[in-house]
Amino acid sequence: MVDKILFVIFAVLAVAGGLGTITRKNVVHALLLLVFTFINIAAIFFLTQAYFLAVVQILVYAGAIMVLFVFVVMLLNLRTFKQEEQTHRGQRWVALVLSLLVLAEFVVVLAGISFTSARGGFTPEAIATAGGSTKVFADALFNQMLLPFEVASVVLLVAMVGAIILVKREKSAGGTTRTWEPGDQPSPEAVEEEV
Amino acid sequence: MGATPADMPIPVDWYLYLSAALFIVGAAGVLMRRNLFIILFSLELMMNAVNINLVGFSRFHENLVGQNFVLFTMAVAAAEAAVGLAIATALFRNRQTLMVDLFDRMKG
Repeated sequence: MVDKILFVIFAVLAVAGGLGTITRKNVVHALLLLVFTFINIAAIFFLTQAYFLAVVQILVYAGAIMVLFVFVVMLLNLRTFKQEEQTHRGQRWVALVLSLLVLAEFVVVLAGISFTSARGGFTPEAIATAGGSTKVFADALFNQMLLPFEVASVVLLVAMVGAIILVKREKSAGGTTRTWEPGDQPSPEAVEEEV
Repeated sequence: MGATPADMPIPVDWYLYLSAALFIVGAAGVLMRRNLFIILFSLELMMNAVNINLVGFSRFHENLVGQNFVLFTMAVAAAEAAVGLAIATALFRNRQTLMVDLFDRMKG
């Protein structure tokens, strides 16, 4: 019973954070509300006894990925984000109506369906006797899912190389040469000009 | 129908409803907002909605592969965030704006 009450509280907070994320004008506010949503989702993972994933959710998602976002939001000039230029004003209302329709569809489908557990055998008692949830999680990961795990590392490598290539400035494209050398202090105007 | 395992305190349907709500919030964000950053945030929101489903069903079916899959989703989300932010930086450097309506040079 306590679990159900906590689940409802965290679920409502998560959805409220999500709604805040998509309605804020200020990007930094939206980002902080998104972190709030992720922390509530981590709490739901805790309630589901997925302890390792809850910790990873906080460390990787609310920590690392969101810090990356904050870093880039701060790096780019926020003053230009003040007004949201909307050239297709009607699209907003069409999108809202269609989203609500799909939500209604989800609810109707879910209300008419009933699931039967496959009984895979990893009950909380079985996990506790097998050495804890993290150990069982790792056993499954490095036995059944070893190849996908290696592929995931390749995906991360490709993303890393791709990000560097995309952000790297081409020598010939801009045509502007540096007015200051990397060693000495540049004047703010020169930096402004180059950036 | 012995639908829910006796020791699962929260019915699996609740996870699905929460996931559906979060996913629709994310989809509405992608469709309604014109700021590239907010669109990226909404994509992360949708991925997390899917993760909730995977964890809930992993508990329901007493099978840990679902939880393993969440780890891969997070890896892909990290890759997507890195590449998406790189594209945002490159676009901002060229166009001085991040409103996606203004990126219409290809006449799409």
